[in-house]
Amino acid sequence: MGMFSESVDVVCSAAGQPESLTWAGVDYTVCAEPLRWYERRQWWVEDTRAPLGGGPGVVDHEIWRVQVLPASAATADEPLTLDLTRHIRSGRWRLLRIHDGLRPRTA
Amino acid sequence: MSFTHLHVSTAFSAHYGVSWPEELAAAAAADGATALACTDRDGLYGTIKHLKACMAAGIDPIVGVDLAVFDDDGDHRTLVAGRVVVLARGHNNGAGYRALCRLVSDAHARTSGKAGGAVPAAVTRAELASRTLDPHTLKPVLTVLLGPDSDVGRAMGGRRYLRPRTLFKQWLDAMPRGTLVAEIVSQLSAPGSPFSTSHAVRMLRLAEEHHVPAILTNAVRYCAADGAPTADVLDSARTLKSLPELAGEPLLQPTGQGWLKTADQMLGLGREIISAAGYGAADLKQLMAQTEALADLCRIDPITDMGWKHPVVPEASVIGISQDPHVELVQRCRAGIGKRFPGITGAGETAMLSRLDHELGIISNLGFSSYFLTVAEVSRMIQDMGVRAAARGSGASSLVNYLMEVSHVNPLQHDLIFERFLSNDRATLPDIDIDVESAERHNVYHRIFERFGSERVTLMSMQNGYRARGAVRDAGMALGMDDGEVGEIAKQLWRFSARKFREALQEKPELREFAGRVEQRDAEGNQQLDLLVDLTERLDRLPRHISMHPCGVILGDATLLDRTPVQPSGLGLPMSQFDKHDMDPMGMLKLDVLGVRMQSAMAFAVREIIRIHPGKKEVVEAGGHQPGPDGSGPDYIAADGRIDLNAVPLDDEATYELIRSTHTLGCFQIESPGQRELIGKMAPREFNDLIIDISLFRPGPMKSDMVRPFLEHRHGFAPEVYPHPDLKPVLQETHGVTVFHEQILKTFDIMTGCGLAKADEFRRALSSETGEAQVEAFFRREAKAKGYPPDVVDKVWGTLKSFASFGFCKAHGAAFAVPTYQSAWLKAHHPEAFLAGLWEHDPGMYPKRLLVSEARRLKIPILPLDINLSKAEYRVERVLSGPDTGKLGIRLSLNGIYGLSAAELKRIVAGQPYDSLADLRERSRLSKPSIRRLAQLGAFDSLHRNAGGPANRADLVQHLQKLQSSSSTRKGREVLEGQLSLPLGDVELRNIKPGLPAPTLVDNVRAELDLMAVDVSTHLMDSHRPLLDRLGVTTADKLLSLRNGTEVLVAGVRVATQTPPMRGGRRVVFISIDDGTGCVDSVFFHEAQESAGPLLFGTRLLLIRGTTRRTGPRGISLSASMAWDLSRTETLPFPDALPTPAPDGPHPLDGISRTLAITGFNG
Repeated sequence: MGMFSESVDVVCSAAGQPESLTWAGVDYTVCAEPLRWYERRQWWVEDTRAPLGGGPGVVDHEIWRVQVLPASAATADEPLTLDLTRHIRSGRWRLLRIHDGLRPRTA
Repeated sequence: MSFTHLHVSTAFSAHYGVSWPEELAAAAAADGATALACTDRDGLYGTIKHLKACMAAGIDPIVGVDLAVFDDDGDHRTLVAGRVVVLARGHNNGAGYRALCRLVSDAHARTSGKAGGAVPAAVTRAELASRTLDPHTLKPVLTVLLGPDSDVGRAMGGRRYLRPRTLFKQWLDAMPRGTLVAEIVSQLSAPGSPFSTSHAVRMLRLAEEHHVPAILTNAVRYCAADGAPTADVLDSARTLKSLPELAGEPLLQPTGQGWLKTADQMLGLGREIISAAGYGAADLKQLMAQTEALADLCRIDPITDMGWKHPVVPEASVIGISQDPHVELVQRCRAGIGKRFPGITGAGETAMLSRLDHELGIISNLGFSSYFLTVAEVSRMIQDMGVRAAARGSGASSLVNYLMEVSHVNPLQHDLIFERFLSNDRATLPDIDIDVESAERHNVYHRIFERFGSERVTLMSMQNGYRARGAVRDAGMALGMDDGEVGEIAKQLWRFSARKFREALQEKPELREFAGRVEQRDAEGNQQLDLLVDLTERLDRLPRHISMHPCGVILGDATLLDRTPVQPSGLGLPMSQFDKHDMDPMGMLKLDVLGVRMQSAMAFAVREIIRIHPGKKEVVEAGGHQPGPDGSGPDYIAADGRIDLNAVPLDDEATYELIRSTHTLGCFQIESPGQRELIGKMAPREFNDLIIDISLFRPGPMKSDMVRPFLEHRHGFAPEVYPHPDLKPVLQETHGVTVFHEQILKTFDIMTGCGLAKADEFRRALSSETGEAQVEAFFRREAKAKGYPPDVVDKVWGTLKSFASFGFCKAHGAAFAVPTYQSAWLKAHHPEAFLAGLWEHDPGMYPKRLLVSEARRLKIPILPLDINLSKAEYRVERVLSGPDTGKLGIRLSLNGIYGLSAAELKRIVAGQPYDSLADLRERSRLSKPSIRRLAQLGAFDSLHRNAGGPANRADLVQHLQKLQSSSSTRKGREVLEGQLSLPLGDVELRNIKPGLPAPTLVDNVRAELDLMAVDVSTHLMDSHRPLLDRLGVTTADKLLSLRNGTEVLVAGVRVATQTPPMRGGRRVVFISIDDGTGCVDSVFFHEAQESAGPLLFGTRLLLIRGTTRRTGPRGISLSASMAWDLSRTETLPFPDALPTPAPDGPHPLDGISRTLAITGFNG
């Protein structure tokens, strides 16, 4: 399993769920229902300010676990499982992890 | 569709909840909710505020609590197995609320009331089960929510699928039918973690399997998502671990999703959980519907369920009356007329009776007769204990109180208005405060409990919130910053709210340095300082802990504990979880029994006078009292010499002379520099002047430039001006200036005809913006209708507006003026006994060491510590030899010596007199360090002198030091029965080897400061004389002779630091220093504060440069321009170019870290 922090472009459905993404120049389609949860940030180390009224996104960030297939793939390809994180305030998506081969690791 | 949150912690869950009830209720209402629950941790601390907030927001309140549950399998007394939420059912005539109160009291019944106790606040499952059913109807009145924090929820981690089910079944077995629900929560944490959707699914399945209803909540801790970091900081403060530590363990909330989510967001969560469980739309509907169904069961009717605003007083039989309370009240009042108004006839009598009828009518109309009788009963009870007691506050306005001897001020003589205290328009129980001797306060509480029964009395609590210093410390700890560094920063913060930290950084000169550090962020990552400021602001005013209110006592009938939960107070008496803001809404009768040290000091003085003087004749002579009607002295002094202070007439000239001299150190209310300045200018001549003085010295008059015109009119420098002749009778006593609330009431009444009751309502309404607008409209309209010209209306309105919320209630002033007068009277006539009382009870604002200077000024000898003559208290003693023979002196007490325990003190006094050190050791069994300290303080000097021998005190101390470090650990030999000690004098003392130089004055003073915080032998500044001379310092006693506007240098030890409210809003700092010849009061305006910087609040010894300014015939103060720390000689402005001298030997404060006791200020 590899850990990254590369930026990705994600397109979401109207309901806010990732539908497709572009990573390292390649287009992918989400092929299964994504899983979503939040993970804690160590904001006291990473942030310089935490003023009152600063809004959400200080204590946690959003993680999406998606299974994707390359957009131009053949149907026989195995889906790739990616963990994406979205920074709540800036709205930027980053790739957090790629899961091993065929089976996603449980958290 | 709306959603009702049923699990919500408000800020009143100390160190857990973030948001105030008002915010939460408003947010819920804005989202369309029709109800909101408040389920604070461990108690109903926020419940009443929640009720108020819900009513204001137009939604139904739901009440509950979040409690810990003891582990049935473990050690019942301390082991907790999870937490549950308990909700009270509503609309059942309070059966649910009652059960909730009793349950919460159960949870605290075993705790100690002291911080860090081993037993937590928790209930057993059996207790919980028994409270869920109403004892009379056996119907369910409480609902228990099993959620993620319950033992079931906590067992869901990992793969032990059986354990949660077993625990769930145990709950089902224990709880009555219909009292249990499963609480489904997802805070969207990582799958398989606590508060994850997967856990929520498991709970849902468990519920379904066992046919238990499931409801949805969000376990809310903060109102908006923005509150999540604050919750982290609170967790750190509660566990005393830094955030990095907590994150490592992991003990922090897993996500920041615990806010008061909208109905849409909750529906979304519900959908997610249902879908993850593999259920369908019908199940989602059921989950949401069940949540609302439970909410509906729990809606509270504030009036029928909680007795909202319905006053409750003790039963008549308990107060000791057997007839109608009102009839009893009338009888008692009439019975008091003879004593209070002896021989009254004619117009005076008519006026008094008419006033009495007026008051009794209102009291009867409101149904408060029992209330007055209760208070009178308490007052009588206290006086029967022989304890001084006097009502303070607006209660002094009442003739009924005066007749029943609850208050000691004649309201008719001083024009006090009853409506300021109580009126037909004011349906809330009035507040009566009783001042008692501070030393007797706990005895008084216990007696009240005995008298009324513990089911009718509780103490009151108070919430302590974060202020700047505490907030910085906890924020710093959360960030893992170094303790010392944070402590340094905290010391600089003085009197601003934590929320305004960033603003203060811009403004306050003493924070300049810190502000600079925040701005520059160096490579070490000092960005922490910026975060520190942010976190500090977040903590502002959040409740930290509950404590016993220093004076509140709640009295009710036998249902009191059904209406308030209680917990131990630490005093051995139970304390209500409600604070003063909750009293009125809950209709609770609260009595403030205030321990006033001045009352104890005066009682002590009166006792000393009797002890020292054999009888009335000697007391009259010593005090210079009038011969009285028969020549033997005044009536208020009894044959044995006891003075009845409450009977002393209020017109003694010597007392007013003392007050006018401004030598009022120790006098109640009038000893501060600001007050002395005012007194000096005002020159009081009679009792009413004292009332006016006390009323003027308040934020309102000071801020709005009332004092200057008042003084000018009073002294005839400017003619008195009245806005209209109709108002002359009202404002005459204060020369045209409006000072009292009573004057405001009368002004309203005269100019609009509204009546005094309405007028008091208007007065109170003026403190809010909307209220002010309404009152203004009414006033202008009615005054115009009555024919007052527009410019008069404008002028009067301007006055009313600014004074209504700041002016002073004359009744308060009158009640305060009594002990002010009495203390000054005692000081004028019996200064030795009075000073001894001040020393013993320490009532004033200044550190005790200043009393030494005052004694010196009054030429009262201070008698040093003596092992045979000093007692546990300060005492007056007649001097038997030496230049002061025949005078009364004050003997220092053994109390307050560092390291001397109360037990040791008792033993010393019990064994006096001692004829030798050996005798002392044997019979008092003092520890060696205690003996050595006593020697350092000279307690053995007279023994030593009697013993003879060439050694001095230093030799003795060294001798004792050597003994201390020798091997013997036993404190003394047993005295054998029958063996007499031979009268050889102290052989040991006689034979001490001499050799050391005698201790210098500085050495002695240092020992005194270190061990007693009082420099007795000489003033601690004396050793600085040579330094001060070189600097060109002027002493305090010389200042008065200088011309106004002279620039001088003064120096001394800090004795007072104040930042009173001032006109114009800019902060002004008053610092008083004592230099041994007197006190210098200096004022630091903004520019001077800038120059002085951190010295303002951080130093003990100050050198101040400033310009003199006259403040009255006998007053002078300094307008400061610059200050230095006297102990840092290298920084001082020596006038010549000679090199900085080495310090003249050690000075007394070297190495002594005691600051608070010495300067009265925690620098």
